Amino acid sequence: MTLEEAKRYLLRRAKELGLEAEVLFQEERELSLRARQGTLEEIKEARQGGIGLRVLVQGRLGYAYTEELSPEALDWALSEARDNALLSGKEGTLPLGQALGSHDLLGEGLSAPLEAKKQGALELERTLREDPRTQSVLMGGYMEKEVRVALASTLGTEGAFRTGLAGMGGSLVMAEGNSLKQGWDFRLAKEFHALDPGRTALEIREKTARLLNAKPLPTGRYRAYLEPKAVAGLLYVLSRSLSGKSALEGKSRFLNRLGERIASEWVTLVDDPTLEKGLVSRPFDAEGTPARRTVVVEKGVFKTFLHNTETAKALGQENTGHAFRTYRGVLDVAPTNLYLEPVGNLHLEKGVLITEFMGLHAGANPVSLDFSLQALGLWVEEGEVRYAVENFAVAGNLLELLQAIEAVGEEVEWEVMGAAFGSPLVAVAELSFAGA
Amino acid sequence: MLHPDVVAGLLKKALKGGADFGEVYVERSKRRRMTVRYGRLEEAISGLDYGAGLRLFFGTEVVYAYTNQLTQEGLQEALETLLRAKGTLGKVDERGAGGLDFRKAFPQGLHTPKVPYGERDKRFRLERLLEAEAGARIAPEIQQVEASLQEWEQEVLIANTEGTWAEEKRVRTRLYVLAVAQEGTEVQTGYAAPGKSVGLELFDLYPPQEVGAKAARQALTNLRARPAPAGTMPVVVGNAFGGVIFHEALGHLLETTSVAKKASVLADKLGEMVASPVVTYVDDGTLPHAWGSTEVDDEGHPTKRTVLIEKGILRSYMVDRLGHLLTGYPMTGSGRRQDYTLAPTSRMRNTFIAPGDKEVEELIASVEFGLYAKDLGGGQVKPGSGEYNFAVQEGYIIRHGRLEEPVRGAMLVGKGPETIRKVVAVAKDWENAPGMCGSLSGMVPVEVGQPHVLVSEMVVGGRA
Repeated sequence: MTLEEAKRYLLRRAKELGLEAEVLFQEERELSLRARQGTLEEIKEARQGGIGLRVLVQGRLGYAYTEELSPEALDWALSEARDNALLSGKEGTLPLGQALGSHDLLGEGLSAPLEAKKQGALELERTLREDPRTQSVLMGGYMEKEVRVALASTLGTEGAFRTGLAGMGGSLVMAEGNSLKQGWDFRLAKEFHALDPGRTALEIREKTARLLNAKPLPTGRYRAYLEPKAVAGLLYVLSRSLSGKSALEGKSRFLNRLGERIASEWVTLVDDPTLEKGLVSRPFDAEGTPARRTVVVEKGVFKTFLHNTETAKALGQENTGHAFRTYRGVLDVAPTNLYLEPVGNLHLEKGVLITEFMGLHAGANPVSLDFSLQALGLWVEEGEVRYAVENFAVAGNLLELLQAIEAVGEEVEWEVMGAAFGSPLVAVAELSFAGA
Repeated sequence: MLHPDVVAGLLKKALKGGADFGEVYVERSKRRRMTVRYGRLEEAISGLDYGAGLRLFFGTEVVYAYTNQLTQEGLQEALETLLRAKGTLGKVDERGAGGLDFRKAFPQGLHTPKVPYGERDKRFRLERLLEAEAGARIAPEIQQVEASLQEWEQEVLIANTEGTWAEEKRVRTRLYVLAVAQEGTEVQTGYAAPGKSVGLELFDLYPPQEVGAKAARQALTNLRARPAPAGTMPVVVGNAFGGVIFHEALGHLLETTSVAKKASVLADKLGEMVASPVVTYVDDGTLPHAWGSTEVDDEGHPTKRTVLIEKGILRSYMVDRLGHLLTGYPMTGSGRRQDYTLAPTSRMRNTFIAPGDKEVEELIASVEFGLYAKDLGGGQVKPGSGEYNFAVQEGYIIRHGRLEEPVRGAMLVGKGPETIRKVVAVAKDWENAPGMCGSLSGMVPVEVGQPHVLVSEMVVGGRA
């Protein structure tokens, strides 16, 4: 059965059984080319698809999914979803449907010939090797993913969109004397032609090499400058607390703080799924709510949580259209393109320039917002990088850090960690560093 | 899951296309998750994953495809796409002309569940989750509790052009309790998450109310904990999940995925003293019902017990097929992958420091001022430089050889090969704990473990 046939089958069976049902289906195509030592060491080309079901029975919701599209598997999914709903203790509803249209956000973005993509991967890997300090290249490569998402329900929801991303990046170990550093980076774009393998490789080399010959950092409190990649990591942790679902689950410190100042005046945080070149843009969310721009924090003042219909209703706020679900998951809330707006009042003076945080999943608590993270960085004096520093951790609380932001740069750079997180360079008055 | 003739036809076609080796991996997984909050079931989902991965080797070049179309046509199409991507379509190799004689290996049932899914209904599970939630409500400061049950029944078939035919059904069950404690504006969390390769007897091994209480006690401890001190000091690392430090700082550096590319600081060091002589480090895929155990790995090889480091001396790496081709080291049954969408790479299974001869009290008594990292969260490593970090989930100050006040927010950072040389004492109380390990081939279940160990010096990241 095709996904289209499976969708029709499920909606028809649901009606026969007297259930309301929402069907989310997703089809992905993936290509990845991994180069090493001048040859392609791994080529991957794949297709995957599945169908996620959400059914409403006696005012309660249940979920199931399947990748096997036989009538038996679809019937199994339908009956599991119904059982799960009947056992649920929570009231729920399915949104009233609407026609959402069919959208193409990708166009010709990935249409370059396979040979050009192979050459790109090889060029990137070759350029990574060309630096005499390169000790080994783990990988240089190209990847692309094209996704088609469609949503339909017995309540009249009907819509689809196609999107995708292309990316190039690599990982290497550089050495100088006894100093060793491992670097990794990836550039993503909506179009193959927007990628530049040579430049990306040079950037990865430069970003890794500048960390060589690092000195220990004495334990103390220093002014910190956070590069966009480091800020993106923190935004990723913070985004969990900005979710209306986390708030409802008692896992957000922003609950009951609407309208309060939670950050310095330089902090304006926006989520915008409508950005034309946004890496995670989409026309509607996982429940069929049309996408629009949401200001989450405006000049330090907390304006809204990110919501789906369920969390908005429960917290008595407006739905921001941030329902998130893959066919394998339950309804959640997630940002799309979440970014810190540029200000342009930042000048490097003296302190630690943090290039990257490590171990975010372990060292930052998305509920308490406490963090204690290993970081990589550079010592800056009189506005110039003097030397690299290593073997240290930075600790604090994200709420305090947001309050201590005293300057924000001009140019937004993006990182994708599920959602896209963007930020310029950020200056923080003072952070606590543990080192030698 | 697939007829041998279909698999043989596919593999022979791969050889005709010029591949030196071909492998089919088929997976059919049932996954279920139930989550309880506020004394009721809030979310429940059931799912069926069904797909196949095809891997071909041309020398050491790998091509990989996966698909959910498990019909003969669907699989043929995936194979042809691969050969086209490789660019050798049309090349005919006569080795593909003969028959394929599969040697079928049948599982011995080492990890077969005692209470399989069908024996208990969902209401039974819900009741246990409610017990876990209630078990966590031990103080008014516990404001929020979340209890989840995750069940995973994975059926795999692995067949290759060397005649391997291995099938296994892997059942895993895990209970997860998160407790949030709050007082004023202070919020802290605690969790407990036992999991094993068992069925619903998990609840007999780990009574749900005790799991809930454990999570809550940790949240309350963190609520009254002060920020950890910052600086370099001796650290006693707790047993069981404490082993995650050496999973990150040592284990990942011994996977051929980095070793073969000389991207590990421990490459080319077999026979050398790489750790303190009190350290013996083992990766054992055969431990009965352990979270990271399987009878065969995801390349169809029997798993085994691999002594990686013996009294400080490096004895073996963890070697998958590609790692074997690149390094010549014998395969150790370490090829693992998250699911059919990923090609296997060398991965850990159940990896631990073997017990030593000290009492835990001796370790603590020998520290004048330091940290007791009783329970740890996760961590991360860069194998190429050995730099690692991991979070202390529950920690206490040691002063004059005695455990004193709890501290929170400690992050341990360092370079693995240096830290493992600074292990000065290993206790007797060996224990393992489950975790999920992320790497090139996705998230796989692993156990980490150790007895209590004393590290003479570590950088503790806290508040300066």
